[in-house]
Amino acid sequence: MITIVTAPPFLCVQDLGWQGYRASGLPPGGAMDRYALSQGNILVGNLPNAAGLEWALGSGSIRFEERSRFAVTGAVAECALNNTPVAAGQAYAAEAGDVLTVGRLLIGRFLYLAFRGGVDVPQVLGARATYLRAGFGGFHGRRLRGGDWVRFLPSDASGAAPGFQIPAELRLGYEDTTLRAVEGPQRRLFDDAVSQEFLEATFVVAAASDRMGYRLDGPAIRPRQTATLPSEPACPGAVQIPDDGSPIVLMMDGPTVGGYPKIAVVISADLPKLAQCTPGRTIRFRLVGLEDAQKIYRRQAVQLHTLRQLTQP
Amino acid sequence: MTIDLPWFAPLGDSAITATFGTEISAELSERIRQAADRLRRANLPTVQDLVPAYTTLTVYYDPLHIGFAELAGRLRPLLDAPVLPDALSTWREVRIPVRYDGPDLNEVARLSGLSPFEVVERHSSRWYRVYLLGFVPGFAYLGDLDPRLVLPRRGAPRKVVPAGSVAIAGAQTGVYPLNTPGGWHLIGRTNTVLFDPELSEPALLRVGDRVRFDAVDA
Repeated sequence: MITIVTAPPFLCVQDLGWQGYRASGLPPGGAMDRYALSQGNILVGNLPNAAGLEWALGSGSIRFEERSRFAVTGAVAECALNNTPVAAGQAYAAEAGDVLTVGRLLIGRFLYLAFRGGVDVPQVLGARATYLRAGFGGFHGRRLRGGDWVRFLPSDASGAAPGFQIPAELRLGYEDTTLRAVEGPQRRLFDDAVSQEFLEATFVVAAASDRMGYRLDGPAIRPRQTATLPSEPACPGAVQIPDDGSPIVLMMDGPTVGGYPKIAVVISADLPKLAQCTPGRTIRFRLVGLEDAQKIYRRQAVQLHTLRQLTQP
Repeated sequence: MTIDLPWFAPLGDSAITATFGTEISAELSERIRQAADRLRRANLPTVQDLVPAYTTLTVYYDPLHIGFAELAGRLRPLLDAPVLPDALSTWREVRIPVRYDGPDLNEVARLSGLSPFEVVERHSSRWYRVYLLGFVPGFAYLGDLDPRLVLPRRGAPRKVVPAGSVAIAGAQTGVYPLNTPGGWHLIGRTNTVLFDPELSEPALLRVGDRVRFDAVDA
């Protein structure tokens, strides 16, 4: 069990989200940076989809009420266990009474805390993710506040030995913000010159970016004619072009369907990098073929598998 | 030139969209719904989720286990089947009680040249088909609206539309399951719950269901 001593403005329980409810309009949800949460879980001996805490927008602290193992992944902040610095991507042991403080986030936007066993909140529709928009899942469907406490699920997995660090080659850097994308289903509604401009342009992540979608400022990208399409399914990573020409990249809590043309879709493996872009960061898109995208997807899965093997005694 | 329908296109690296046509119609919707049902029953292990829409059916999969071309090859025989008579299929009839006191009722009446009473009459006197769920959990796009009630969306969307609002826009009508922003015309309210995460089938409505609104006293 941990107690939230001081909560940052944004703190909620997330796992890897829902599967099988899109036809009811429920998006996948779950961690914005799935790779980081998965890595944290592996470090503490959990399955990648165990629930952890998604932390953003500021500093705060938690207190361990029992002995545990934990890891901090994703966004980089100055963290300390009592007064000893805590490194990102490393396995730690904590004793009852230890206080973990997380400072201002220095690089990235979402930091993850993984605990051995995973956070024990009731499963809703098979997941422990928080869907803040409708107020269900996670911890009573809401953000965590100071004074809240959560338990862990029992676990006898050992995970990585305290001190184990994720090797550099298995870490995802957040410095490179060129996002690989495949052609979107409505790419043909855009002139070749416009598509080219989309790929050459630099976009700025706008302030109006959240778990539903990231809005991008940059050159207006317009289809040949403003086409209202019959609404059709979308997915995280889909780059929608609304009438004003400012792209919106759908994220984990984004709508399951949309009527705006999708010029491109960011590949799954690069969604964590986008998720970690704070407002004001610049991004670019680079087109890759579908087969390459799926190869990269498999490579990322292999990286998690490799980490799992490295952490097992 | 004829295009072989449905035709398949990738939606990112983990989904495939089958397009069955370009014009919205109840017939096309029914064909897609039946294809989705067949696919659900086939229970392909690689398929994680599927969403029938107006003119498309999207299948979500894990590229760890199968690639686009192979999946498309497996889907084609399942999707390409004759449409059963509607009577044989498994839609449900759902009635939703509505208090027709929405803030836009008078405006809708004025724009459509009808009295508010006639707007209510026309909205509540037909069965609507569920074409699609999405936007937010449980939101169903219902059609087709009485042609006299077809209006463009409001010029300025509301920042918050209260949950339970019954609304119209274009040839569609629907109920907002949550407090969300929205640009549709609000003509009434209901207490019917459209999405309940505690249920194993959380959405009240499924594509193909028939919905009727019953006017009740405010």
